[in-house]
Amino acid sequence: MLSTKVISRTLLRTARPKATSLNTSFFTPRRLVATESVPASSASSILASQRLNRPVSPHLTIYQPQLTWYLSSLNRVTGVTVAGLFYLFTIGYVFSKPFGVNMSAANISRKWGELSTPIKLAVKAPLAAVFSFHCWNGVRHLVWDTGRELSVRGVYRTGYGVLGLTAVSTIGLLLV
Amino acid sequence: MASAFRPSAARILASKPASAIRFLPQTRVAAFHVSQRSQILPPGPQIVIGTVNDPVPIPTSNAAHGSYHWAFERLIALGMVPLTIAPFVAGTANPALDAALGTALVLHSHIGFDACVTDYFPKRQYPKTRTFMIWLLRGATITAAVGLFSFQTNDVGLTEGIKKMWKA
Repeated sequence: MLSTKVISRTLLRTARPKATSLNTSFFTPRRLVATESVPASSASSILASQRLNRPVSPHLTIYQPQLTWYLSSLNRVTGVTVAGLFYLFTIGYVFSKPFGVNMSAANISRKWGELSTPIKLAVKAPLAAVFSFHCWNGVRHLVWDTGRELSVRGVYRTGYGVLGLTAVSTIGLLLV
Repeated sequence: MASAFRPSAARILASKPASAIRFLPQTRVAAFHVSQRSQILPPGPQIVIGTVNDPVPIPTSNAAHGSYHWAFERLIALGMVPLTIAPFVAGTANPALDAALGTALVLHSHIGFDACVTDYFPKRQYPKTRTFMIWLLRGATITAAVGLFSFQTNDVGLTEGIKKMWKA
């Protein structure tokens, strides 16, 4: 569009009839532009503020859901979940005593045991799945670290393997 | 673009000088982007250092942040495979196994969280938040280790505790 404008302007200038009854101001629209002198040193700050107006590149949602990157992100999500729960419990264990909260294993397991089976299952099933997945996918990573299964085929084969083992061990953990 | 446009425009101008000029399309600059703005977070602070012609600085290599760190990471992860299974297979609570599993768990968690801080709080964009997150994590890890030690020594211990809560 910009180039069109430039070209049409150029053509207008060259093709304009020498003598015309038309008002010349029609051909040369004037635009008042205020200029401001800025030091060269402010270039980077202007660029930085300009960059904030840029559109954000399309991300996540534009990619086809694939086993490769889905399992990769799941590995982090599950890891942070398990480790986060571990930290929550252990840090809570330190601060519970001054607040008069009894976080002993005996007390927690008694309170937890009083809950109904569906509630317990609703908590334990995702927990077992998250833990299982991170364990099996961790082994998958260790296999990769030895240089094995480092191909698209290998990634898919081990990926489906991890999903299968996760399903089995999740059920196994719930039956324990 | 120029060569494609020029002949037709020239022809129009040649045939009907006055009227053609009048009907030349009004130039409008289209919006740069027409797709919907979709973002998880607003853009972070834009840091401009140097110019585009500057070479990329090469960080000084440090084995403690490189190969040693990587090897240490794998060593813990590898150790966690038997350590996770052994206490539950052994059946009886073994304080030494419990201590080993607990230590590995704390270290593995710390390394994992540390990788998240490195990834989500880039030093270039969020230097202060990054430092804060690193120290927050260190504090959390030490507190977690203290809590775990207390749970191991004053309570039933990690393996027995998990078993008890899971089977309750």
